[in-house]
Amino acid sequence: MDWNKRTVLGTIGYHNLSNHSIAPLLIDKIKQLDWAKNITVEEMNWGPIAIVQWFQSLETPFERVVLFTAIQRPKRKIGDVTIFKWGGKTPHEKEIQARIGDAVTGVISPENLLIIGEYFKIWPEEVYMIDVEPGPEKAGEILTPKVGERVMDYLKTLQIVCKQGCISSDNFVILHGDKISFK
Amino acid sequence: MCFQNLPIKFDKDGNASLKENVANPYQYKVVKLDEEQDKLKSLLVRNGFIKNIDYDPVTRVAGALAFHSVVDLQNKKVLSTNSMATLFRGYEIILKGRDPRDAAYISSRACGVCGGVHGTTAALAIEMALGIVPPPLGLVMRNILLAIEYLYDHPLHLFLLAGPDYSEELVNETNPEIVVAAGKTKTKSGHIHGYNTVLDIMKDLNPLKGKLYLEALSMTRVAREAYVLIGGKYPHPQSVIPGGLSVTVTITTLNELYHRLIKFFDYGQKVAAIWDDVFDFFLEQNPAYADCGVRPATMVDTGVWDRPGVYDASYANADTWGEARWATPGVVVDGELITTKLQQVNVGLEEFVEHSYYEKWDGHRFKTDPAGTPLSPNHPWNKETVPKPGKQNWKDRYSWDTSPTWDRMPMEAGAYSRLYVTAKAQKLPKSKFLESTGHSLKIHIPAHNLPETTLEWKVPEKWNAFERNRARAYCIPYSAMVAMENWMIAQQLLREGKTSVSTPYEIPKKGVFMGMGAWGAGRGFLTHHLVIENGVIANYQIITPSTLNAAPRTPWGALGPYEEAVLNTPLIEEFKNVEDFQGIDILRAIRSFDPCMPCTTHIMDNDSNHVVTREVTTCACGLE
Repeated sequence: MDWNKRTVLGTIGYHNLSNHSIAPLLIDKIKQLDWAKNITVEEMNWGPIAIVQWFQSLETPFERVVLFTAIQRPKRKIGDVTIFKWGGKTPHEKEIQARIGDAVTGVISPENLLIIGEYFKIWPEEVYMIDVEPGPEKAGEILTPKVGERVMDYLKTLQIVCKQGCISSDNFVILHGDKISFK
Repeated sequence: MCFQNLPIKFDKDGNASLKENVANPYQYKVVKLDEEQDKLKSLLVRNGFIKNIDYDPVTRVAGALAFHSVVDLQNKKVLSTNSMATLFRGYEIILKGRDPRDAAYISSRACGVCGGVHGTTAALAIEMALGIVPPPLGLVMRNILLAIEYLYDHPLHLFLLAGPDYSEELVNETNPEIVVAAGKTKTKSGHIHGYNTVLDIMKDLNPLKGKLYLEALSMTRVAREAYVLIGGKYPHPQSVIPGGLSVTVTITTLNELYHRLIKFFDYGQKVAAIWDDVFDFFLEQNPAYADCGVRPATMVDTGVWDRPGVYDASYANADTWGEARWATPGVVVDGELITTKLQQVNVGLEEFVEHSYYEKWDGHRFKTDPAGTPLSPNHPWNKETVPKPGKQNWKDRYSWDTSPTWDRMPMEAGAYSRLYVTAKAQKLPKSKFLESTGHSLKIHIPAHNLPETTLEWKVPEKWNAFERNRARAYCIPYSAMVAMENWMIAQQLLREGKTSVSTPYEIPKKGVFMGMGAWGAGRGFLTHHLVIENGVIANYQIITPSTLNAAPRTPWGALGPYEEAVLNTPLIEEFKNVEDFQGIDILRAIRSFDPCMPCTTHIMDNDSNHVVTREVTTCACGLE
């Protein structure tokens, strides 16, 4: 366990989509948490290519990346949180090109970021995505009660993962880039 | 005579009025599309090979356009086309009732690439409505900001989105004979770009790995870095406001800008030379490529880049300040320049919704523009956005896009229109770097690592996919030199101590005020029409380049620009089996417009049920 890894916590998500916007809705709260000096909190909606270029330009690279987002997935209840550990691998090049097309034209997608980042080899060994189940997409500037009541849990999870990573493989699910559905 | 179809005439002094003795001057014919669809159905019955088309739901995040073609793969012909925007975004409704000052920030979100131009166009609309004139430094820095936005956008289009269609990898799948020939063809401009054969270029156009692809990615970073020096952030700048900019400009700012801007001097030369070589080669190899995406050169542009001392934001003087822009506003019909007057560009605009998911609105609030020229009830100042979701029906309504026209003609728009109109118009004020000849635009580029040179973009004889992209390539040096000229003015203003960048203003609590923002996105024409009433936005209408280009049929049955361009496209692609058909020629035609939304094309072979689905991803600001 290494508590001093240079870590970036990035929030990703569209605004005004209720639970799907959990990351932008909570970013101010996240920034106000008591973070150690080795942890940087960044809003990461500014595009996978720009983020790739930022990582490439860093003199001292990050050793741990933690992304916070909300993606609707089957077999989860609204409010459930899953920690994914990035397992690398990329899809077919045509799909990567399509995702880059999305990226340079403003589409916000943590999965695009993971895959494009993998293609350009920017990721350190430890990359996590903390993903809240938002349920169906709907408009709104507030979280639904099922998600809202668990905000403290999410913040605690973020703090733990940023501080020490995921120690036990029981706590996370491996996510491979070639298994992510594009549609 | 400016208008051939609208009922507006001008007297010898240029004063406009409605033509006399016309009972219903703005009447138009509504043609049923049944006949066209019935014809396709009858073919289906007789030949048993034309099928109804199933659309995949477009599930991408940012917006959606479905493009549908029925093709005859035996005869290599496109039979039918429909352009269909599948998503309603409703910025015009979001803005209604809000404080006008919100418009720049909210409308900026219409796009993930060209947020700055939407913000600026909103600011211009408010400036016109309320008579706010930015100070000179505010104007030239705004010009630089938006030129830089184009310097992000053009390489992105040329190498990341459209460029792969001409790469060795993709062409090898569809036309291997072209790749073989490219290996034997020496380039004409190797002394500029360093490539010996056309195949060398095509290899570096390969997506993800090609050097030109990767270089374009890195150039987008250079442009973004320059952009945020003025805009604060990209793509939605925080500093664009009515009356100028909210940013402090110093010599350091200009030095930082210059350091990045000069990289586009060489890059602009190189990109123009690369695409000249590639496109000349394709057109020489197979002259049929000249019909890829072909349609008459009928286009519109608002012009961009205002000149300090001339721009006064008023509608009354819009023709004067419009013609003084570094890019001339205007309309070209079948290659002929019709007007360069911004008021005429404005008055000729109409939007129709007969084949769109909108209700026709009632009323005709503004019978004339502020100069007294008659306005159609379908003009954006009169139009209202009334969504009416419904089932897609080729005979009736099939798109969330409207059908905009100028003088009742569908118009295309692009960065290339900016170049085309400026080259034809010969209205450019004296410039150190630019010269409009009436048939070309000369761009003088100072030395950087490459020696100084003069590039010349010539108005092409045939307007097709290749020429759209070629012109887009020349828009890189064009934009860079406009930025440079404005940078020099900014330096002079700072030397003179003229450091103000914004003009204060207040929103009047009472009264009705009309404004039009006329600028250009990276991909061309952009207008925001605004009515302020008693301190809030009473009506807001946006026409983007893709509103024009992706339009469905007009009420009288004229095809939208995508629809027409694809219908005229020959299928040059080689394939053995239907399943191998890629649709590369159709994709080239559509991508040449730089469709301003993630666009999925569906191509149906009329001899089978084979549906080809291809992504045509670009930015997402084309929808209402």
